[in-house]
Amino acid sequence: MTSKHRKKPDKQSIWIAVAAFNEAAVLSPIVSDLVRRSYRVVVVDDGSHDATGQIAISAGATVVTHPVNLGQGAALQTGIKLALQQGADYVVTFDADGQHRPSDIARLIDALVDHDADYALGSRFLGSSRGMPLGRRLLLQAATWLTRVMTGLRLTDTHNGLRAMTREGAGRIALRQNRMAHASEILEQIAASGLRHIEVPVTIDYTQYSLAKGQRFSDSLAILFDLSAQKLHR
Amino acid sequence: MIAQIGLSILLAGVLVYAWTEYRRAPVISILSILVATAGLYFVWLPSHATRLATLVGIGRGVDLIIYVWVVISLIMLLNLHLKLRSQAELITILMREIALANARTAEPNK
Repeated sequence: MTSKHRKKPDKQSIWIAVAAFNEAAVLSPIVSDLVRRSYRVVVVDDGSHDATGQIAISAGATVVTHPVNLGQGAALQTGIKLALQQGADYVVTFDADGQHRPSDIARLIDALVDHDADYALGSRFLGSSRGMPLGRRLLLQAATWLTRVMTGLRLTDTHNGLRAMTREGAGRIALRQNRMAHASEILEQIAASGLRHIEVPVTIDYTQYSLAKGQRFSDSLAILFDLSAQKLHR
Repeated sequence: MIAQIGLSILLAGVLVYAWTEYRRAPVISILSILVATAGLYFVWLPSHATRLATLVGIGRGVDLIIYVWVVISLIMLLNLHLKLRSQAELITILMREIALANARTAEPNK
């Protein structure tokens, strides 16, 4: 998926938004890798109790700090807002726990350019994933089915934190779900925007660390509750 | 009669409150209005309450009215939960602005 006939975007106009809560142990190599690839990186330190913010600055990121922990959805929205304020042409959301590969970002951006889309969503089921436990696989497939019913989007992987969007696409995202329900909310807003989206195969590396930080079945019940509650008020 | 007037005033209060909540939480508001209206109706026509109560398998009309009150309380509880969520959203917006105003970077010229 290379764009020969179209101009490649300037990497300095691509902002990577990373939400980080107590990720001091793993953050430094991830941010350094992104910075080395000439991307602009904003790390949203979501009220961490460790040195996450300082480590991110040392690694070359712009750091925005929430005074208290608000949740991943809130942190991503803050990151997207900063990127747009800084004049980003493209915004990428990237997990801080090391399960995404920086090399996949270029594929997402290429997909946006080549297909004239506003959202490129990473899919581990089109791509590959290493070390995914069966329970996680079943949970993700249930979420995929539910998203299909709720938003009408026919996606293969609805809970993948690796996404790229154009400036226009990012401007249509206004997350109100502070915690984990934002992954479903972002898809609802993509569907509502009417803008073009495309799925791109990406690789997810499951590690002990990322699995320990990941979602459990009880979380999915909380997500369903959050999503329903939001429908009842403004 | 005194009890009926007292209950009516309370239920009218619920109706007014529900009406003012309409813009913020329409579903809750409509639910409250329906339940409070039903409450008013049964307060003044308790015999209808008794008839309806036996129809749906509740012993007495008074019991039915108590159940209606319980439902109103639960709806109010849900409404309170939603209000707290709205508050949390406002706090988020506020914190986001504070955070963005204090963005830090290692680059000396920024």
